[in-house]
Amino acid sequence: MIHSTTHAADITVVRPGVERLTAINAKTFKEEVVALVEAGAGRLVIDFKDTSFLDSSGLGALTGVLKKIGHRGDLVVCGLSSDVEQMFRICRMDRVFTIYRNEAAALQALSEAS
Amino acid sequence: MTTLTFQMANRLDAVDPMVLTLRRQVEGRLADETQFRFSVCVSEALTNLVLHAETPQKDAPIQITLALSDHEAVVDLFDPTGAKAFDLRENSPSLSEVDAMAESGRGLGLILECADQVHYGAVDQRNRLSLTFHSRG
Repeated sequence: MIHSTTHAADITVVRPGVERLTAINAKTFKEEVVALVEAGAGRLVIDFKDTSFLDSSGLGALTGVLKKIGHRGDLVVCGLSSDVEQMFRICRMDRVFTIYRNEAAALQALSEAS
Repeated sequence: MTTLTFQMANRLDAVDPMVLTLRRQVEGRLADETQFRFSVCVSEALTNLVLHAETPQKDAPIQITLALSDHEAVVDLFDPTGAKAFDLRENSPSLSEVDAMAESGRGLGLILECADQVHYGAVDQRNRLSLTFHSRG
């Protein structure tokens, strides 16, 4: 389901691999990203550029990943469509996750923070 | 006034296709921002029905009606037969009350926040959640 690529400064970019991250696939998304974290990926960018819709289950899965990483790493998001960004805002998750415009901006920010 | 009736299998994999079907019906009738709120509400409500509305007739489809007028779109979601009544207006924490790190518990609050009007009650011996969205202008 997810697609991941590794970049400099131990940053991993993850794309959910689905157009809609909802109750039907949120659990699998969380399990696969958590597996990456358990395998050592601690600096994650979740790129939603190909995901047009996110429901509360998708947001819950993302929160679960953030809890798994805890204070040992970074988790930021990027590539949010207007609908996905609005979902973050309505659920006040824009206060929880740092949001970047796209993958390049997220990679630059995390690299500079290294 | 146009009224459309849909039936959805009581399964999680049926939710997304039904949400997309319903959204197509309101395209051009509701502002883009309202279409988004419509999609969120329908997605959360149908998911909640499939996951939590216990029914002895799990094979029975979930009935949905969509009434479209110049002024509004009203989507009615009927609880599965035999499901215990659940009025989300009385049982949902507002989104501002949900722990930021919670992994669940936002769905019902989203419905209350995103729909212009929310009604729930018995109609023709069935319980119905009715969500209204006002048209543009």
